[in-house]
Amino acid sequence: MAEVASRLSGADPVLRLVLRRILLSLVSFFVISAVIFAAVEILPGDTAQRALGREATAESVAILRNEMGLHDPAIVRYGRWLGNVVKGDLGVSMVSKRPVADTLAQPLRHTFLLGALVLAIHIPLSLFIGVSCALTRDGPLDLALSALVLVAMSVPDFVIGIFLIVVFSVELGWLPPLALIDQANSWTEALWMLVLPVLALNAAMTAYVVRQTRDSMIEVLNSDFVRVARLRGLPPVRILLSHALPSALGPAINAIALNAAWLVGGIVVVEAVFNYPGLGRLLVEGVRFHDVPIIQAIALILSGTHVALNLAADIATTLLSPKLRTQTS
Amino acid sequence: MSPGKRFAEPVATVPLAPAGARRRAVGDFLARLPPAARLALLLLLAAVAASALAPWIAPFSPIEIFVGSPLEPPSLVHLLGTDTLGRDVLSRVLYGGRTALLMSGSAAALTVLVGGGLGLVLGYSGGLVDEIGMRVLEIVASIPSVILALLVVGALGPSIPVVIVTVGLLAVPSSTRVVRAAALAFVAEDFVLAAKARGESRFAIAWHEILPNVAGTLLVEFAIRTGWAVILIGALAFLGFGAPPPTPDWGAMINEGRGALDASIWPVVAPALAIAALVLTVNVLTDGIARALGPAR
Repeated sequence: MAEVASRLSGADPVLRLVLRRILLSLVSFFVISAVIFAAVEILPGDTAQRALGREATAESVAILRNEMGLHDPAIVRYGRWLGNVVKGDLGVSMVSKRPVADTLAQPLRHTFLLGALVLAIHIPLSLFIGVSCALTRDGPLDLALSALVLVAMSVPDFVIGIFLIVVFSVELGWLPPLALIDQANSWTEALWMLVLPVLALNAAMTAYVVRQTRDSMIEVLNSDFVRVARLRGLPPVRILLSHALPSALGPAINAIALNAAWLVGGIVVVEAVFNYPGLGRLLVEGVRFHDVPIIQAIALILSGTHVALNLAADIATTLLSPKLRTQTS
Repeated sequence: MSPGKRFAEPVATVPLAPAGARRRAVGDFLARLPPAARLALLLLLAAVAASALAPWIAPFSPIEIFVGSPLEPPSLVHLLGTDTLGRDVLSRVLYGGRTALLMSGSAAALTVLVGGGLGLVLGYSGGLVDEIGMRVLEIVASIPSVILALLVVGALGPSIPVVIVTVGLLAVPSSTRVVRAAALAFVAEDFVLAAKARGESRFAIAWHEILPNVAGTLLVEFAIRTGWAVILIGALAFLGFGAPPPTPDWGAMINEGRGALDASIWPVVAPALAIAALVLTVNVLTDGIARALGPAR
């Protein structure tokens, strides 16, 4: 009876906590949209002047300012922009004069493909290495992997990418140095181009999850219930798979979700390294050419994804940790 | 209570011993650094010395073009070869060290100054001020830093001060959080309550009672932020939003040499190794400082 009661009262705060987090994320998303708008529009430089270039006459700048509604106060323009975004209208690129939504469609698919491939390799690989380290704790494998992980964590993602290009493209000639998958003739060629960017991002991300998995796994392996399972004479593989691993997964899942959020920023830089035709490269080009609608749309998409992934990390932790506690008591 | 906590509580603070032991001798502290960290400290000092002495030890000017023919391989004259414009790569790497150390050091100092100050104020104030402050910082922190840095630096136009201030301020939320947590550990301590009872001002309490106890946290935070700033500043320069050319900058050098990798890898590999080595050194040192200051794990 007491247990049921404690569970009922226990479920409610968790649900409330999750709802609170979702609400907070929505609020942050709105504030982020305002920050992005401010960073691009209110800071120095006139959008119309930039769009027309330095040679433009004062008259044509004034006409464009009118057309773009730049005479309205910033808050009005922000409201108009946000309203259009909600309606799905992201504006028109100032450089290509095409609708932003059309310009973004293809790069968005490319970036999503790259991110999905990275995670599909990242999750099983880093869990496997982390568990291996924990099982051979302080042995040669653990020490070697820990050192490698520290090095990989220290080297910036774009430097890893450059080293990969130098070794595998320039010196060995095995893989293409650029990932121009929009110019690939076949699926296999495109996949071949993706090897190095996927490797570079994985090298940068693996360290964190390996550390988290290793540490939480070691704690679980030292805990009473694993010791009891061992004393009961259960086979080691079964102890590992059905006892230790599920309990150790909580912090690891949190780390993976945080990593996925980090990937949103990391992908921008790594796309630039390999000239990968995704959102990141488009964003860097947009900033270079002051293409405001493009910058705003991409920054909004990437930041929104980042917020959503952080939210997922939080919810995963919230949902997993109380369960872990009730399992052990 | 469940028997035995399964997950260790995060260590919120790295307190120094109170009162008398506060002014610990530097030698004593060095003795407690793990060997790897002592080696890292030595390497870092060597890097600082090499970049400080760059005008005297660099064989050529870092910005003078065609001191050799373009893309020469390493030789006795040009130990690391020359770049596409015939500039000496070794000289540029040495001077690039100045750019990297000065920019990331200044950015980290700015972070710790602002973040540390905010953390102390929020931690000591508590209540509504704390709640609102932390929410605002949380929201700012939820924008990916590379993207926000690109937007701000892109809008203001890349220059050394703009990059330093942008990168420095971007890390403020996380520094604030760490210092606030460290400060919170002391607000209910007897010596703080005693100071409050003596009628000392909030500022005096934060400055005299809490600050000395979170000094270790601030030092670790500065080290962490320096390593982070080297990476972000390097990435921005690589993307073309760093110190304007011809300033010797590792990130920019990597970007400039990329197109000619087939002809010579040295203009790219040398600065890439330099940036990787610097971050690794700073990270090992940070780890060591945290261990030497923190409770034994």
